Amino acid sequence: MSLLELKNIYKIYGDLHALDDVNLKVEKGEWLSIMGPSGSGKSTMMNIIGCMDKPSKGEVLLDGVDIAKESAKNLTMIRRDKIGLIFQQFHLVSYLTAIENVMLAQYYHSVPDEKEALEALDRVGLADRAKHLPSQLSGGEQQRVCVARALINYPEIILADEPTGNLDDANEKIVVDLFHKLHNEGTTLIVVTHDPEVAEVAQRTVYLRNGRLHKETINQHFTGEIKFDNEVSV
Amino acid sequence: MFFRMIFGTLIRQWKKMLMIAFTIALGASLATAMLSVMLDVGDKVNQELKTYGANITVVPKENSVLNSLYEVEDGGSTGAYLREDELGKIKTIFWAFNIVDYAPFVNTKAKLDDGTEITAVGTWFNHHMELPTGEQLDAGITSLRSWWEVTDGKWIDEQSIENRNVAMVGSALAEKLGVRMCDEIHLTGSVSDLTVKVAGIIDAGGDEDNKIFMPLDTAQTLSGLDGKVDSVEVSALTTPDNELAVKAAKDPKSLTIAQYELWYCTAYASSICYQIQEVMTDAVASPVRQVADSEGAILEKTQLLMVLITILSLIGAALGICNLVTASVMERSAEMGLMKAIGAQNSSVSGLVLTEIIITAVFGGIAGFFAGYGFAQIIGHTVFGSAINMRPAVIPIVAVLVLIVTLAGCIPAIRMLLRLSPCEVLHGK
Repeated sequence: MSLLELKNIYKIYGDLHALDDVNLKVEKGEWLSIMGPSGSGKSTMMNIIGCMDKPSKGEVLLDGVDIAKESAKNLTMIRRDKIGLIFQQFHLVSYLTAIENVMLAQYYHSVPDEKEALEALDRVGLADRAKHLPSQLSGGEQQRVCVARALINYPEIILADEPTGNLDDANEKIVVDLFHKLHNEGTTLIVVTHDPEVAEVAQRTVYLRNGRLHKETINQHFTGEIKFDNEVSV
Repeated sequence: MFFRMIFGTLIRQWKKMLMIAFTIALGASLATAMLSVMLDVGDKVNQELKTYGANITVVPKENSVLNSLYEVEDGGSTGAYLREDELGKIKTIFWAFNIVDYAPFVNTKAKLDDGTEITAVGTWFNHHMELPTGEQLDAGITSLRSWWEVTDGKWIDEQSIENRNVAMVGSALAEKLGVRMCDEIHLTGSVSDLTVKVAGIIDAGGDEDNKIFMPLDTAQTLSGLDGKVDSVEVSALTTPDNELAVKAAKDPKSLTIAQYELWYCTAYASSICYQIQEVMTDAVASPVRQVADSEGAILEKTQLLMVLITILSLIGAALGICNLVTASVMERSAEMGLMKAIGAQNSSVSGLVLTEIIITAVFGGIAGFFAGYGFAQIIGHTVFGSAINMRPAVIPIVAVLVLIVTLAGCIPAIRMLLRLSPCEVLHGK
């Protein structure tokens, strides 16, 4: 059984079909990229997979449970327990330090544990920046705090929305390397991006256009390492 | 973590929180001031109204029966009198401290040298009493009828005069007799005659202008009524009548023990009357309805006005809080959306915002309480010329009102929070 399965998913706003009969399967431990131009339905799909929105029609099976039929309260619990979210804009709480931002996810999940939060920051190479406020961190560092926050509750899926959209090349590489490390540890990754370089390092890439799955490619030479000279072959 | 987030918000949004605290302080101060004045205004208004005369009259039981039977105010003497030696007991009843003034009266007919019959009234002017309780009291018509105008001469000072054959003459009678201050009038009473010196002319604006007023013992000598008085007028601080007081006034025996205790221990005019009757032999004390009713009506209207001001100020505060909290939540919508996205339930996010606002409200409420206490004192000194006593009940009432207003003001913001969709704020959709 797939970890995640989208069956005939529609998301309709009036006359607009943001998602139009989308079918997708994601296996446990897989690294999937979702690509597409602006308005293609990437974020809508991410919101549905991330339990932040419901489809107008269709089934979204997460671990065999149709989350499209769950209540808002249950969706919050599923999101809390099974999904780690990474955002393009980082969305760190400005008045909390790096470690407190990580502990925030623990607080809403179970009990804050400073030691565990510090370990999560250590995994992303930011243990020495734990007591810094977001304003004292670079963009790349903020995104790594965001990754640590997403990891802290051991989610089944890490869902990243344009994770490198606000980063320079150096920081983009750091974040992608981090994803590679997570993937090697068995974490399922779904990365929404319009950056081909980031998308192509994944095992599989699906292309959305006008709300439909337009194309799907498998990275035959998957290494999980980003190369900026377009040496990655798909 | 919870309090770290709260203090983070309080510090980061200190200007907004200060505005919220100020708005709450404003509402709390008005509520405190109005409630303090309202709860104390009964005594204050009563005190003011006491300057307009007595509100209880005490007459012998037989006279009272006659008055009731023929529905007249002055049924004339039936030969029954109150005992002068019992007058001090009026200041020993349960509600003794509410008795602010009183004066006995003895009415007698006296003839002038030309045969004209006039009414001579013996009373206290500023009679000094040393009560069994050790308390000292100066009572009499000088203070009880303070609105009487002395047009010539001055009030009789009982404590300094050596010759007690002095009198105050009503202005109409004085004009009729052509007397002025220091003139002498020879009076022939039923048992003796005496000459009184006119100490002053009084303009009472009523029947009293045709009477002559003299110290009680002087009138008693004239009429041979030593140790007796016709009536006593009492000025007492009373609580406006309610259903219980009306029921008790008709028949105290109809009350249950609990009702009786409540009535007896409340300063209703009827319970004070009842207690006066307990200490005076064969006496009937009754409230002067017109005065008592006016006091009740004025008090009720004053209190209603204050309740309205309090309600309006609290509504204003709630609207202010509503705007400020909603603005604060809108400003933090991304933060709230993030919390929801990483697993916070609606109750957690709402609880966070409510706790922040309630902490702010506590500070605002405390500041408002003390400011309100100050306002109350200003009102007390400006309107009543005395301090307002802060009743302990004001504190919990204001606390509950502040809580209600704060929570009511947060309702729109909380509704907005509940509707807040994390994907909308996090993706800017």
